Amino acid sequence: MDVTNIARISRHDVVEGAKSIYSLILLIALWELITQAGLIHYYFLPPLSDVLIEGYELTVSGEMIQASLLTLKRAFLGLLIATVLGVPIGILIARNRFVGWFFDPIITIGYPVPIISLIPVFMLWFGIGDVSKIILVGVGTFWPIAINARNSARAVNQNLIWSARMMGTPKRNLVWKVVVPDAAPGVLTGIQIALPLSLIITFVFEMVAGGGGLGHLEIQGVRSFTSTQTYATLIAIMLIGFVLDGTLRKIRRRLLRWA
Amino acid sequence: MSYLHSEKAGIVSTGVRHVGDVVVRWLPLLIVTGLWELASGWVVVETVLPPPLDVLIIAVDLVVSGQIVGDLLVSLWRIIWGLSLAIGVGVVLGVTMARVDPIEDFFGVFMSLIYPLPKTALVPLAVLWLGSGSGTAILVVFLACLLPIVLNSYNAAESVDQNLVWSAKMMGTSDRDMFRRVVVPAAIPEIITGIRQAVPIAFVALVSAELIAANRGIGYRILSYGQLGIYESMLAVIVVISLAAYVGVRGFERIERRVLVWT
Repeated sequence: MDVTNIARISRHDVVEGAKSIYSLILLIALWELITQAGLIHYYFLPPLSDVLIEGYELTVSGEMIQASLLTLKRAFLGLLIATVLGVPIGILIARNRFVGWFFDPIITIGYPVPIISLIPVFMLWFGIGDVSKIILVGVGTFWPIAINARNSARAVNQNLIWSARMMGTPKRNLVWKVVVPDAAPGVLTGIQIALPLSLIITFVFEMVAGGGGLGHLEIQGVRSFTSTQTYATLIAIMLIGFVLDGTLRKIRRRLLRWA
Repeated sequence: MSYLHSEKAGIVSTGVRHVGDVVVRWLPLLIVTGLWELASGWVVVETVLPPPLDVLIIAVDLVVSGQIVGDLLVSLWRIIWGLSLAIGVGVVLGVTMARVDPIEDFFGVFMSLIYPLPKTALVPLAVLWLGSGSGTAILVVFLACLLPIVLNSYNAAESVDQNLVWSAKMMGTSDRDMFRRVVVPAAIPEIITGIRQAVPIAFVALVSAELIAANRGIGYRILSYGQLGIYESMLAVIVVISLAAYVGVRGFERIERRVLVWT
């Protein structure tokens, strides 16, 4: 996207762009109009302008940024633990018969457990602090990461392995030199699935147990009857989700040049 | 590999070998539960980590005595409602978005706005509108399941073989019939994949809503047992809901295979 490209935006692009967002503009205008006219109770739907002002104030006071950092810290640390454990275990399940024998039934049983339902258990075991939240995120995101790593390591083309063997790759280098690069796209897919899951778990834990963070900030708005805070936090969460999604796609393209 | 098996089959009868296979396959699980059983009482206090056998007995007891049946039914009712609404709205929206441009222009931007949003962030909004109760849980399940269904239906209808559409048109199918007769049947396998993806999401959404704002249901029961300090029962309810989710997902996979015999 260099300057010459921007200069050459055609009329067609403008029309297409307008077509794809006109409904959003319409909705925003309708939202503002209905709420300003008082057609809907303020608590249920405050005017967007009030929500944006609230969001601005929360950001300036540092509350929103602090909550975001807290939530992201919990989600990312949990995700990191799950990746560090899940990727090697998943690949080993596919490549090593003993590890596969041990973990396959555990995954069959563990994966369908709705991980959110373990929140009260983790409150009992590890308390309501950061550690408890991080471990639950780690446990919850372990499954998709390990399963995707396992499935993509299983799907590695056997011809690649035979060729590498024939060309003299020693057995202990096989995983690192052949299996991992070939399975990498699938492994990344697992992490991509796990990222929103990590936030989903963190939000609910924060709503149930408190302790700061975006989930807490959002539900606090409901409980203290300041719905502008709930809406403002929701918009912030949406923005964060947008940025994370885009970043992950970019990382994927950069990392997987060979795929 | 296979000749080894046939050799063994000659010595040991197939029935015994089958049982042996099952035991070997599930042995790791037995080991883990055994370690848990040992740890409880020895390493950790029994109230914090109740023995698995006790938990299982209580789980069976809760269901048989009917104590949990009411909550289980309420939760299933909410899931069925939320999921059905999501299927109804999602399939229609996805298919029409793929085939009718103005509708895609209208709804596309909302879909791309909701897409990166972690869906449990919508729970407070649902509570704000509907308070605590079934309405909130149904709304959360609906919203969480909507997107995978819309996306899969959209992709399915978009990638319907254009030759099919042309052939049908040539043979006199009207535009109105095209949907019902050509696009939808061709898209059904992928639509069902979308619904299958939505089933586990529905359970997560349900439990989230019930933990945060409910006075009945499985999620509420888990939380209240935890707060009362009856930890065996809390774990037992988790076993029950996990089993329900497992049966739900597996059952749907079976239906999928049965329905989609032509693929």
